[in-house]
Amino acid sequence: MTSFPTRILGDLAVPLAGLILLALYPSQQAFLAQIAITAILVLSLDLVVGFAGLATLGHAAMFGAGAYAAGLYALHVWSEPLTGLIAGALAGAVVAGATALMLMRAHGLTFLMMTVAISQVLYEIVSKARDVTGGDDGLFGFTMQPVLGVWEFDFFGKLAFWYSLAVLWIVFVLLRRLMVTPFGQTVRAIRDDAGRVGSLGGRVYRHRVVVYTLSGGIAGLAGALSAQTVQVVGLSSLSVTYSAEILVMLVLGGTGRLWGALVGTLVFTVIHHYAASIDPVRWMLFIGLILVVIVLFLPGGLTRGIALIHAWLTGRRAP
Amino acid sequence: MSFGTVLRAGAVALAMTAPAMAETVKVGVIGPFSGPFSGSFGEPFRQGVETYVAMNGQPADGIEVEFIWRDLQKPDPGQARALAQELVAKDGVQYLAGFVFTPNAIAAAGISQQAKIPTVIFNASASAVVSQSEYYVRTSNTLAQVSVPTAQDALDKGYKTVVTAVSDYAPGVDAETNFAKAFTEGGGEVLESIRMPLSTTDFGPYLQSIQLKKPDALFVFLPYGPPTYSFVNAYRDNGLDKAGIAFVGTSETQEVDLQSLGDAALGLETGYFYSAAHESPENDAFKAKLKELYPNAEPNPATVAAFDGTHALYEMIRATGGKTDPDAAIAAIKGKSWESPRGPITIDADTRDIVQNVYIRKVEKDADGRLVNREYKTYEAQPDFGAQK
Amino acid sequence: MASLLASILIDGFAYGMVLFMVSVGLTVTLGLMRFVNLAHGMFAMIGGYAAASLITMAGVPYILALILAAIVAGIIALGLEISVIRWMYGRPELDQVLLTIGLVFIGIALAGMLFGNSLVPVPLPDMLRGASDLGFRVMPTQRIVAAVVGLLSLLAIWLLLDRTMFGIRLRATVDNARAAGELGINTRRVYAIAFSVGAALAGLGGVVGAELLPVEPYYPLKYLVLFLAVVAVGGPGSVFGSLIAALLLGTVETAGKYLAPGFATIGLFVVMLLVLSWRPDGLFHRKSRL
Repeated sequence: MTSFPTRILGDLAVPLAGLILLALYPSQQAFLAQIAITAILVLSLDLVVGFAGLATLGHAAMFGAGAYAAGLYALHVWSEPLTGLIAGALAGAVVAGATALMLMRAHGLTFLMMTVAISQVLYEIVSKARDVTGGDDGLFGFTMQPVLGVWEFDFFGKLAFWYSLAVLWIVFVLLRRLMVTPFGQTVRAIRDDAGRVGSLGGRVYRHRVVVYTLSGGIAGLAGALSAQTVQVVGLSSLSVTYSAEILVMLVLGGTGRLWGALVGTLVFTVIHHYAASIDPVRWMLFIGLILVVIVLFLPGGLTRGIALIHAWLTGRRAP
Repeated sequence: MSFGTVLRAGAVALAMTAPAMAETVKVGVIGPFSGPFSGSFGEPFRQGVETYVAMNGQPADGIEVEFIWRDLQKPDPGQARALAQELVAKDGVQYLAGFVFTPNAIAAAGISQQAKIPTVIFNASASAVVSQSEYYVRTSNTLAQVSVPTAQDALDKGYKTVVTAVSDYAPGVDAETNFAKAFTEGGGEVLESIRMPLSTTDFGPYLQSIQLKKPDALFVFLPYGPPTYSFVNAYRDNGLDKAGIAFVGTSETQEVDLQSLGDAALGLETGYFYSAAHESPENDAFKAKLKELYPNAEPNPATVAAFDGTHALYEMIRATGGKTDPDAAIAAIKGKSWESPRGPITIDADTRDIVQNVYIRKVEKDADGRLVNREYKTYEAQPDFGAQK
Repeated sequence: MASLLASILIDGFAYGMVLFMVSVGLTVTLGLMRFVNLAHGMFAMIGGYAAASLITMAGVPYILALILAAIVAGIIALGLEISVIRWMYGRPELDQVLLTIGLVFIGIALAGMLFGNSLVPVPLPDMLRGASDLGFRVMPTQRIVAAVVGLLSLLAIWLLLDRTMFGIRLRATVDNARAAGELGINTRRVYAIAFSVGAALAGLGGVVGAELLPVEPYYPLKYLVLFLAVVAVGGPGSVFGSLIAALLLGTVETAGKYLAPGFATIGLFVVMLLVLSWRPDGLFHRKSRL
């Protein structure tokens, strides 16, 4: 495994990257906060796609659940942010846990379609309950108390940035730790060969349910952050399109490595940001071509590409 | 040549050779310039703004307007807020404009309010939008604004009973409740209110069950594009026109869809705020310039909303001489009236929302065989009935 | 009551046949070649655009345009199969999902550039427009056409798979590609033809279904869930299963529209979830039979 200093260095990567980005984009902190929040969501997706090996188009369901839960919590219960995050994470975990019982016996296309169906049903319910959720006008009208009673939310997104970055850091470090535990290794073994783990006495189904629920909780956390920093929750946070978009980010970076989720999110959002200001119309063509090229020529995404280049430079075999 | 002319010519030459002297006013426009809504909103927005600029030049001598376009494909409040924040903090815009979807407009309201950025809403049509920031102005419409006169017209035509069928989303529900309220208050009866899921592709069953209710008329609200197309065809193909159930709509026959609806649209009657066939010199000039700049463009309600929105921006820029003075800018636009390609319009002094005529139109063929919305009745100076509860 | 039930069944059948038409090609590639093709709707869209252009620009009669549209979709699919998709057989499902999503994005962008972002109508001849009287109610004539074309395609598929040399080769390849290759069957060519035929069927569906699913750039993404639902519920690889699933889902949604208008979509997805929880491989799981 990696040596102790390397691991610490890896842990510091998130705040370092955050500071570099802040230096590059000093007046776009709301945008940077969006990147950090999306990165948390894509990390949670990597648990399902990369570590459990299941292709899903319904991951936004948990993100949206967390966002609506945090919004409603702030509106009706208490506008304190940290407990709001817990509410969001719980909502995501509950949605994931409940549906995992149904989902984790399926695989392949069936799994994919069931995730789509579940997120569509949730979307329709939230859309119909417009008295509670605001329907497609969105849920708004809540304001947040200062974080820890000290730091106020400002409209330039300064606090939003630091707040989201801090949560991203915590999530990233914890996931890194989790992946080297016996639990994390079992999950990976299941992805590689579920039959073998089963015959060796590993509880495949139970592990999958736990991973999915955990992933849902983190997605819900990201949703809650989004609700608190934007102060509007829209139906699109639950949509299948959004699920597809984050999947693209993950693949771009590379599945099955936590780094991939971070790199993918960053590269995708930054390119999107520039493409959207230069030539929005060609954006779809561009992202489509990128996907095709990556799948055909660079399976494993950008991080795999970086690893290959690194290996070539140092004369070692690629990981 | 008199001394004065020389002096003026000199001044002009000086102004032209010294662009650095000109005050540049930046306006950030947020809208769906790519994606599924670009055809019905993003492109018309851009065409409306550029047509206005081509017709009117710069707002005043020494003031240059620069438009900064930002793409926001879909309802995505987080992205809307980030874009608005970036435009204000990084690009230094004095004004914001655009916004198709209500959640996006609401998400940006915090920025507009706190940073005091006067913002012209080109579309987002929920009644609540404009009240979210004291610096919001709207040049499109609200659903209540067009559905209430449409209901009055339905009563005038002698319809006693209606069934309402709307797409199940916020604008549809707004249209349904406001129409139903005005229609029942006027002595009519709503037999049934149907809310059809947005993803509906086959409208046949809805129209069949409406036919069994035998209402005098059917009030409809659907989003532009595919749903409208399928619905109008299904209305004909299921024989509702022959069964004598009249079609009462609002935006369904708008110009972006009209030609592709084809003959199925002939005779449909709707109440809305702009028809490309509106007869006025202002509309003719607008259409001619649009055609010159964009030969394939249709003059659309969204184009006109952006065109008038640009007028509102120009008024505010002129009133402040291009300087940053949001309170003076917003004070200057309150209560302003002018003649738009759609007809006379006013920005209400209290609500900052638009007051405009609503026209009852019928789809006909013009001399060239193209379909047009022929206006035949006008409800003058209609406010947003939704805000006056 | 009886007429309500009849209406549900008739409208559900007509809607189901349109769903069947656009999805049946997908069941072939997905079940037989085990290729998760999320770009399937693109071929339906290509068919729609081809027919619309042929009719409005070249004045081609509707029926001829219908056939030509299917051929255009088939040829484009063949080109894609040879250049890109061929390399994806046997790759993990996730890769196939991503590659075909990429193709969908490219298709959407190109369609928008070529045909504009608004919908393009496929003009119907006067004969097929308007309503036909069924006695107790009327029925859009166009819907009857769609159902007839659907039934004819079903017959054609059955003949192709069951009565032709190609059908035998395809089934042999699917059962055991290596053994088929050793027997002298060109499995690459069999896959390419099967993929192309599936796309041609989608093209046909895109044209006859254009009144329900109007042709526009976002077509492949918008109705993707619908196509996949039919195939997943029917059981990938089973043509007959797709038919039953299309009719089932069509009828469920139609019944929802008559009985609980606001809940038709939820009903559709709930039924899908129930069927898939009960039978994860779909109603008619293919076990080397078609």
